Amino acid sequence: MPPELTRRRALAAGAVAALAGCLDRQDGGLGSADDVSEPDSRDEDPPEDPPTTEPPIEMAHSTAALRQEVANGGVPQDGIPSIDEPVYTDAGSDETPADEDIVFGVELNGETAAYPRKILVYHEIVNTEIGGEPVSVTYCPLTGTAQGFYRGGTEFGVSGQLVNSNLIMYDREAESWWPQVPAVAIDGPHDGRSLQEFPVVWTTWELWRDHHPETQVLTDDTGYVRDYGNDPYSGSYNPTTGYYDDGGPMFAPVVSDDRHQAKTIFICARTPDGPLAIRKELLREQELIDLSVGDGSYLGVYDPRLDTGYVYENPDERTFEYTDGELRGDGTVHAPDELPLDRSLRLDAMWFAWTGIYPGTEVYD
Amino acid sequence: MALQRLSMTAGAIRAALTRPRSLVVTLAVSVVYLFGYLYAIGDLSIRHGVGVGIDVPVEEPLTHMLTRTGPASFEAIAFVDLEPFRLLFSPLNTLLGIGLATLVGVNIALSYLVITQPRSCGIGAGSGVLASIPALLSGSACCAPVVLIVLGIQASGLLLTAMTWLLPIGIVLLVGSLVYLGGKIDPTL
Repeated sequence: MPPELTRRRALAAGAVAALAGCLDRQDGGLGSADDVSEPDSRDEDPPEDPPTTEPPIEMAHSTAALRQEVANGGVPQDGIPSIDEPVYTDAGSDETPADEDIVFGVELNGETAAYPRKILVYHEIVNTEIGGEPVSVTYCPLTGTAQGFYRGGTEFGVSGQLVNSNLIMYDREAESWWPQVPAVAIDGPHDGRSLQEFPVVWTTWELWRDHHPETQVLTDDTGYVRDYGNDPYSGSYNPTTGYYDDGGPMFAPVVSDDRHQAKTIFICARTPDGPLAIRKELLREQELIDLSVGDGSYLGVYDPRLDTGYVYENPDERTFEYTDGELRGDGTVHAPDELPLDRSLRLDAMWFAWTGIYPGTEVYD
Repeated sequence: MALQRLSMTAGAIRAALTRPRSLVVTLAVSVVYLFGYLYAIGDLSIRHGVGVGIDVPVEEPLTHMLTRTGPASFEAIAFVDLEPFRLLFSPLNTLLGIGLATLVGVNIALSYLVITQPRSCGIGAGSGVLASIPALLSGSACCAPVVLIVLGIQASGLLLTAMTWLLPIGIVLLVGSLVYLGGKIDPTL
């Protein structure tokens, strides 16, 4: 399997320049970056952990602008407790989720693990080790985003603050604030630096277990008293109802974009040519989509085995034929996750969660 | 004047708690309100298949129970299951709930006396009911107040600040209502 570009994520300067002009808020709120007089205050010598990318991820909004958009979520720091001593079981045990339950799947250094959504909805962050790597698997219920970050020698906790309704993590070493979706610190010693990421798959327990029978799965032995079968946001994903289905976001988005209902799910990626969003249902229907982002050519590929999608860089515009869940090209057959091309890291996200942070995103809908 | 009003209130409360009918009203309302409060803040739920039992999965309950999960809510230390009810038992939330429920119960008992005493004409009897509402709305989910999610109201900084004050405001209103009702009751009747 080709590695996703988890450590090579700088956006092309041209794409960033294009994004920089997209800060005008259609609902009259946040102005352009020029309106923000407070400079970013990047520490020249921040703590070593968590590990960060070089160069950092470029953003449409300055970190000072995002700081102005921070809202208190109504809970104190660590009022939503991260899971710091996770207990796992194997796929054959009787403590596994129901087949239709949503899980967040991770494959790292040959190890696989699944994180049930019904547990993470109460904790949002699991500090763990996968494949010998200290990592954090994170989930924000209000934006429908599950993402993985390398944490080095520190841990992440839930700050209780939100931006664009999205979880702001803090690291327990330097207490920088890290919004989950952009993965860039907006306050503290790491201001302006970005986290190293790894891919997380939003899927069901049945699909993940069948694809990775050797997987471990997080149990509800978390050390906390929570009613894990009962969603705290008055909604459900089986079927999709309540907060997760319709209505607006919990907090006013940084940038409003009414082209789609706020909770519509998109497969999103920060490609080397700029941000990209593909409506998930469209990818399911079309299975293989030729994409353009800026001057770059890409492929969107659906994987029915996990009900997920991938974004591949396709600079030579190679062609493939999609048949019965497999891709044929150059006389060779490939699984959807094994094309001989570089993959951009992608995540599932609600429409408003992505467009609020990346208003200039390329959209396929 | 203020001392006289407080003395009248104390007398009215004594009257409410020593007369069988108003005592029954106090107890019944307090129990119902306590369950309502625990349900509103998410500690009590109706869940099928939980069976009957008590489970304490927390390693250090005495320390754990002091951890805040919201502006005025604290960690639970045990599952208390009595099919179809599941209580996530938080000692401090329960203590807070009992205090609020007692205030509400006495308020309603005084309202009962106001209604049943011919001299007082029943004016103001609803103040205790109104004062009991804010605390029910103060519960927090993970990332936003439950009531906003249920009603689909978009949160704002001002609204969230107001939400954090709901519980203290509720307590002040309940105490104020007691003093107000206490002045309307003749404990000798």
